[in-house]
Amino acid sequence: MKPFLYAALAAYVVAAIHSVLAFVNKRRLTERVSLLALVAGFVAHTAALVADWVGDGHYPLFHLHETISFLAWTLVIAYGVAVYRYGVQRAFSVFTLPLVAWLVFISNFLRGSASLLPSRVIGGEAAWLFPVHTTLLLFAYASFFVAFAASVMYLLQERELKLKTFSAIFHRLPSLSTVDEIGTGAASVGFTLLTLGIITGVVWSSSRNGRMWHNDPIEIFALLTWILYLALIHYRAQWRGRKAAWLSVAGFALVLCTFIGAMLMGGYHVFG
Amino acid sequence: MSIVLVGLNHKTAPIEVRERLAFTDEASVASLRMLVDGEIIREGLVVSTCNRVEILAATGPQHVAEAAARLSGFLSEARDVPREVFSKHLYTHADEAAVRHLFRVASSLDSMVVGEPQVLGQVRRAYTTAVGAGTAGRVLHRLVHHALRVAKRVRTETGVASSAVSISFTAVELGRKIFGSLKGSTVLLIGAGEMAELSAKHLARAGASRILVSNRTYRAAVELANKFGEAAAVDYSQLTAHLAEADIVICSTAAGEYVITPEMAAEARESRRNRPAFFIDISVPRNVDPAVGSLDNLFVFDIDDLEAVIASNIREREHEAQRAELIVESEVMQFQQTLRDLDIGPTLGALREKLQSIALEEMKRQRQRLGNLTPEQEKAIEALLMSTVNKISHPVIHRLRRSYDTGEEDNVQAWRDIFHLDD
Repeated sequence: MKPFLYAALAAYVVAAIHSVLAFVNKRRLTERVSLLALVAGFVAHTAALVADWVGDGHYPLFHLHETISFLAWTLVIAYGVAVYRYGVQRAFSVFTLPLVAWLVFISNFLRGSASLLPSRVIGGEAAWLFPVHTTLLLFAYASFFVAFAASVMYLLQERELKLKTFSAIFHRLPSLSTVDEIGTGAASVGFTLLTLGIITGVVWSSSRNGRMWHNDPIEIFALLTWILYLALIHYRAQWRGRKAAWLSVAGFALVLCTFIGAMLMGGYHVFG
Repeated sequence: MSIVLVGLNHKTAPIEVRERLAFTDEASVASLRMLVDGEIIREGLVVSTCNRVEILAATGPQHVAEAAARLSGFLSEARDVPREVFSKHLYTHADEAAVRHLFRVASSLDSMVVGEPQVLGQVRRAYTTAVGAGTAGRVLHRLVHHALRVAKRVRTETGVASSAVSISFTAVELGRKIFGSLKGSTVLLIGAGEMAELSAKHLARAGASRILVSNRTYRAAVELANKFGEAAAVDYSQLTAHLAEADIVICSTAAGEYVITPEMAAEARESRRNRPAFFIDISVPRNVDPAVGSLDNLFVFDIDDLEAVIASNIREREHEAQRAELIVESEVMQFQQTLRDLDIGPTLGALREKLQSIALEEMKRQRQRLGNLTPEQEKAIEALLMSTVNKISHPVIHRLRRSYDTGEEDNVQAWRDIFHLDD
């Protein structure tokens, strides 16, 4: 339903603005306002997704605007887990919340051009696997985003520690080992979800038309992403620190390619 | 009510003068009792630290100049120091300026090292002493409590006190930046030296649970280890092995060559499975080869690096101090309002009470004529009376406030006379 998504957008914008303010002025109160607005936004956002699901009669993760909105929703959850576990609200908010607000804005903007679901998605024995496949992947991407944000924070600080000159940002970021831990943790979670997402996709696809692989750009990028994160996790100890962080940044670039590539290049995996 | 402050500090007076004027707690109790006469000086307190001696007093608005003169005379008599010795170092602030000064002192904006935490405790103690001496009344009570609140605000809302300005605290702060918490971390101390010991102590207090001490002569290591509770002396020849255990390494030997080479550090790092390590090299000539710092996950800070961090922290504090000044400024305004309420408040209260008691009196007299009333009705009548009284007195109160704010004390007195508030 539109009103819910508008409400979510409004709350997210408030949360995003306050997250930036809190990052600058380090005030608890501003931080709290940001958190409250975020919670309100998340509730409205969830309501919007449920209302869409009930109203449109399909899982709200198919059309482009739905995907973007859902992605924002998973980002909020991934962010929430990181903040809850590590108490790193200030730094992660400023990375995540503006993006979330922006995504929800775009989603609102793109709405209305929704067409009916193509029958190729609805049909088939294992049709229920399709939403599982997409949901898992979006949560994987959200985890990779958290890993990416943590890695950027790591690299910024590592550089300043090596150069021994500290900027204003330095004092506002969580410690090196915290962001390192978040980075590896989020990458591991993301990798697990990605693996499951790929498996469900393959099963779904083969049950539908007997083909597991379509040489589609999104599949190729997903495989590359999968290999990269596999390496990152496997060589975690050897590459601890700077190398792992750079790899995580590269991994996220691949994720972006997967996402944007799919839109631009078309192929089997087309939204809408 | 007015506030007067007379004093000198590290910026205006040399240590020779400050030390002669410093008060002990006992001395200030005795002197304060002499100072406060209830007439010119109604309340008083003394803030005496190694950087400042200041006397703060509450007085009537008409006595400000006289009170200031008395305070400097008092300083001379109480410490038995001729006035000529210190008069040229003395500053005098009255009213708003005095309030601002105290707020800045309590917030550590007037300190030698901006943001240092001790001065707040010293202000608090000065107040307790004055309370003990019976020379702190409602004005100083409000003032000091407001000052403590301002200090807290400045502390939490600005960065004046957030960054380290000593070698040992900088070490702790950098350690926290690298490791998050220092809880459970291991510190390896190579060589001895006051600064190294102090840093190790601060690290231990911040949570480091194990301290290893290494020295070229084993006996010196044992001696130093005994100084720390949880420390163990380790063999100097096994340095690389112990490096692998240490998260934080503090070097301060008199050795003329590098004690830790990149090869040693790399080997130790490998057996630590690449976990980060932090090298603090406070020896001159340096003990840690700077090349160690170019290895991933190893962070080396020598004495110059630490000094540079401190210098930038001090600049950061001074920058933050500008934001703190804004807080102080708005709080000064607020306190002026508090002070005003403290003065005009009783008059307003008395006026309201007077009018209300007239209304209640009338109600009591006419009560019988009203016959039986339910409790609700009775309450309603009372509420009606009170709101009528408040409506009528509102413009008077408004006028009274304005008269007070513009300093028309005659007008205030006229209203008091009209309503017989002084009877």
